[in-house]
Amino acid sequence: MKCAIDIESRDVEEMYINIDPIQAGGRLTVDAMKAAIAYGDGYSVCDNCLSPFRLDYIKKPPIAQFHADLAAWLNMDTARVVPGARRGFQAVASTYVEKGDPVIVTALAHYTEFVAVEEAGGIPREIPKDAKNHITPDAAAEKIEAVIREFSKTPPLLFIDHVDYQFGNVHDVAGIIKVAHQYDIPVLVNGAYSVGIMPVDGKALGADFVVGSGHKSMAAPAPSGLLATTNEHAQRVFRTTQAKGDVTGRTFGIKEVEMMGCTLMGVTVVGMMASFPHIQERVKHWDTEVAHSQTVVDALLSIEGTKVLSDNPRQHTLTRIDTRESFDTVAQQHKKRGYFLSSELKKRGITGVIPGSTRVWKYNTFGLTEKQIRHVGESFVEIARENGLNIV
Amino acid sequence: MSKRAVDAVFQALFLLSDVRFLLRETAPGHDLDEGQKERAAKTLEKVKRQVAILEEELVR
Repeated sequence: MKCAIDIESRDVEEMYINIDPIQAGGRLTVDAMKAAIAYGDGYSVCDNCLSPFRLDYIKKPPIAQFHADLAAWLNMDTARVVPGARRGFQAVASTYVEKGDPVIVTALAHYTEFVAVEEAGGIPREIPKDAKNHITPDAAAEKIEAVIREFSKTPPLLFIDHVDYQFGNVHDVAGIIKVAHQYDIPVLVNGAYSVGIMPVDGKALGADFVVGSGHKSMAAPAPSGLLATTNEHAQRVFRTTQAKGDVTGRTFGIKEVEMMGCTLMGVTVVGMMASFPHIQERVKHWDTEVAHSQTVVDALLSIEGTKVLSDNPRQHTLTRIDTRESFDTVAQQHKKRGYFLSSELKKRGITGVIPGSTRVWKYNTFGLTEKQIRHVGESFVEIARENGLNIV
Repeated sequence: MSKRAVDAVFQALFLLSDVRFLLRETAPGHDLDEGQKERAAKTLEKVKRQVAILEEELVR
């Protein structure tokens, strides 16, 4: 069925259990779907934009209150919505990083952190991961020391991913921030895989900046995200424009430079707002999500030869799995080659595993019901058994 | 201007979104349990009422 010329309606979430690693936390809530229907028009949230004419001051719909609520919920002082987590990285890097500055990222950092550093003229330096695929405070301290030796200056910023996108491991962010602060380095916590799906307390972590992704983990339309900070940094990162036209003499009031004036309009911000009560509630049930994740990991590990490359017991719903000695051995003989696994899953109403993947791949079980979790686990085992793999 | 018709359109679309969400919750089999069937029946009944309002306002 088409929803417009040459655009097929998307029914992936209605027809299948979707375990795509990046899509799980961004599935809309029913209220966000309704908000999307009502606020699809471009400038729809601007009907009641009154002086001083900035998005985060709009009271109807209650966007101003939403900003205050977001900051309080993350236990930070101030928050802004942004068009995706990457725009939060960009705003902070653009503010703090000068040309030639070294900036600390990690061996598990998302590429958009590198790009934000590059755009600001900085030079990324990575904290290596350890053998268990963790970024540790000790490794952070060693890297900071090494970078100071190399550049004869202290890095102006450190990025740390609360949960990394490669393994879905939860890192000792508080410990790393403590180390960075000993060198007076402000820290940006990338919460793209935590804010909106698990509890995050910015002050408890000691974060200077918390960035979240609306479309990855806050059940919001893309592109959406948030940047929260403390009073100490808010004046700087949310500085207002001083620009003045030399011909017209125009000035631009309280528009914020890094936010390019106004940020999220229409369906993105209203979708975030509509989902917000739901995500406030769902993070309280993180233990259930982790238990569901474990159920599927246990099912996969019952297939002889399968290994989990993420932390096990699981602490997150995003998991990296190694099936080179199980499903990939089937793929080598199968007429569909590596496509047999995604094909078999699809027959059982499961999608989201990259077609052709039978070696090392990722999936995410966030948001599935108990019944769906059972179906996913049982399906993996059934596919293994039908293809001659041993179940242990 | 028919505010009643406009409200009925939104209400019907919102109710159908509830049905859409039910389809997601029960994917891939869409085997609804008794509670879910009851929820679906009530919602569809409400959709019919909104469609009736639209017929009254726009067609008759």
